Amino acid sequence: MNSVTETFDNNSASELAGMHNAFPKISNNELLAIRLVRFKQWLRQEKSTAFLTSSMSVAVMFLAWILVTETGLANPLFLPGPVAVFNAFISAATEGYQGSTLLEHVATSLYRILSGFGLACLLGIPLGISMGMSKRVHAIFNPFIEFYRPLPPLGLYTLLVMWLGIGEESKLALLFLAGLPGIIIATIQAVRDINPTYVRAARSLGATRMQLIREVYLPGAGPTILTGMRISLGFVYTVLVAAEIVAATAGIGWMIWDAAKFLLSDIVIMGLIVLGITGILLDLVMRLIGRALMPWTGRSHS
Amino acid sequence: MKKSIKSITLGACLSILSGTVLAEKPETVTVGYLNLVNAQLVTKSLGLVQKEMPGVEVKYIKVGGGGDMLRAIAADQVDFGGLGNPPSAIGVTRGLPIQGIMVLNMLDYVESMAVRTSAGIKGFKDLKGKTIAAPFGSTTHYLLLNALADEGIDPASMKIIDLRPNDIALAWSRGDIDAAWFWEPALGKVLKDDGHLFMTSGIMASRGYPTWDVGIVMDEFAKKYPDYVSKFLKAECAGIDYWLNNPGKTAEIIAQELGLSLEDATRMMKGTEMIPCDKQITAQYLGGTGTSSGFVDTLVSTGDFLYSQKRLPMKPSAEKFKNFIKPEYLESILK
Repeated sequence: MNSVTETFDNNSASELAGMHNAFPKISNNELLAIRLVRFKQWLRQEKSTAFLTSSMSVAVMFLAWILVTETGLANPLFLPGPVAVFNAFISAATEGYQGSTLLEHVATSLYRILSGFGLACLLGIPLGISMGMSKRVHAIFNPFIEFYRPLPPLGLYTLLVMWLGIGEESKLALLFLAGLPGIIIATIQAVRDINPTYVRAARSLGATRMQLIREVYLPGAGPTILTGMRISLGFVYTVLVAAEIVAATAGIGWMIWDAAKFLLSDIVIMGLIVLGITGILLDLVMRLIGRALMPWTGRSHS
Repeated sequence: MKKSIKSITLGACLSILSGTVLAEKPETVTVGYLNLVNAQLVTKSLGLVQKEMPGVEVKYIKVGGGGDMLRAIAADQVDFGGLGNPPSAIGVTRGLPIQGIMVLNMLDYVESMAVRTSAGIKGFKDLKGKTIAAPFGSTTHYLLLNALADEGIDPASMKIIDLRPNDIALAWSRGDIDAAWFWEPALGKVLKDDGHLFMTSGIMASRGYPTWDVGIVMDEFAKKYPDYVSKFLKAECAGIDYWLNNPGKTAEIIAQELGLSLEDATRMMKGTEMIPCDKQITAQYLGGTGTSSGFVDTLVSTGDFLYSQKRLPMKPSAEKFKNFIKPEYLESILK
C-alpha cells in the first residue's frame, strides 16, 4: 500500500510523465486527490478503522486526564497530571528510585515474571498434553487442579513465605502458581478439541506416540495453548505487586507499593504505566513467536 | 477560612459546655487504631467513645502501621486515626486533610531493635553484611536510618528490607533476618526466640529523636461535628486516666485485646508512655495556643530527614506543621 502511493510523489510522477509522453501529466491537485482516495480506501479497511478508533479513544483518555488535572478538578495528590508523571519517569530513569534505576526495577520484575511464567509453561504444557491425551493421567491430577484453581494465590502466599522464606524463592513460587492452572486447563482443552479423525488417520498410518504428539497434538493444539499462555501471563502480572510487597528492595511492583506508602502517586501511576507497557510488549512477542511457529493459525487467533 | 473554622469549633465546644442544644450528629464514627499497645485499647475495650456518643454507631478498624493508616486517611475511610511522626510529616506535607488533636503515646522500648543473640552483634558496626528488617516509612525505619547516620555507617553496607511487624516475626523464626526494629506485640515473639534488645526508641528519644503517635481527626469531620471531636477526646482522656490509675486492670484489658499473657502485656505497657491530657497541651508535647510545641519541632526535623531521603518530593514547611497540631480541642475540654 505504502509503496504504491510513494511512486506518486512529486518528482517520480513528473519523471514518469516526461519519460512516457503517452501518460498525461499529473498535476499536484490530481495527486492530492489520488492520495485522498487511497487514504479513504485505507480508512474503509477494518484493520485501519480499529487502529484509528483505538488511537482516538487513547487520545480522548489523555485529554480527559489533562483536563481534570489542569483545571484542578482532581486533587494532584491522588491524580497527578501527565507532566508530573513524566517527570517521575525521567527522575526514576536517571537518578533512580530508592537505590535502583527504573531499568533495574523493570529488569528485576521481568526476571521474576518470566521465570515464574516460564516454569509454569514448562510444567503446565506437558502436563496438560498428557492429561488431555490420557483419561488416566487426567484422573490422577484433576482433583488437585480443580481444588487449587479457584484458590486466591495471595492466600497461599503466607504459606509460601513460611516454607520458602522471604527471598526470591517464595516470589517466584507465587508467580509460578498464579500462571500454572490457566496453562494446564487451556492445554487440556486444546488437546481434547483436536479432531479425532486426525489422530485416527495418523495412527492408522503407523504413527508412534511421540510422532502423534509432535505431528498431530502440538500443531493442532498450539493456537489454543498460546491463547492460554497469553491469559496466564495476565494472571502472573496480577500478583506481581503482592509478590514484591514482602521483603523486596527492587522491582516495579515494590516501587509502586513503596511509593504508595509515601503518597508519591506520580511514581505509582508511572510504575503502573511502565508495567502495563511491558505487559503489552510481552504479549506482542508471544503473538509474533506464535505466528512464526504456527503460520497455519492465520489471523483468527491474533 | 481557618480562623472561621476555629471560631466555629470553639463556639460549638463552648455551647456544649454551657449545655445548649447540639448540632446534628454523625450516623457512624469510624476510629482507625494502630496495632500497638496504648490506652486506645482501653478506651475501645471499655466502650468509652460509645458512652460519650449515644445513638451514634462507633466502629473500630485495626490498622497495621503508618503506611496503611495514610492510605486509609487518603481514601477517607476513617474519621479518627493515629499516626507516628514520619507518616504524619508525610501526610501533612502532602496536604492530607487531617488535624493532630492528641498525644496517643510516647514510644519507649515498646518499639525496639532486636538482634539475634547467636549472630554476635555487639555494636552497630557488626550489622554490616547482615539483613535487617523494618516497616518502611514507620517510626522505627526513621530511627534505624538516623541511628546508622549518627554512627557514621552506610546503610548500603547491610541489607535493609521492608517487612510488616507480623512478617518480621515470621521471617525471624525462619532465620531469614538477623535484626529488626519494630514494635510490640510482634516484638515479644522475637525476644523469646534467640533475640535480645539492642536499641530502644526511648534511648533514641534521649538522643534527640523522640518518636510518638498522634491522634488525628479528618478536617471534614472536625468541621461538621466539632462537638464530637470533643466527645472523642473526653473518652480518650478517660482511657488514659484509667491506664495511669489502674495498671493491673489495664494489663488485663491489653492481654485480652491482643491475646497476650498478662506478663507480656505488663512489660509492653511499661515500654510505652501515656501522657495525661492536661500535660499534653504543654510545650513539650502539643503545646498550647500560641506557645511552642515539641511535636511541631519533631515534625520539622522528621520532614527534613524524609526530604533528604527523597521520600518527600518537596521541602516541608514548618507553617503546615503548626497548622496541623491543634491543641484547641483539648484546651476546650480541659477548661
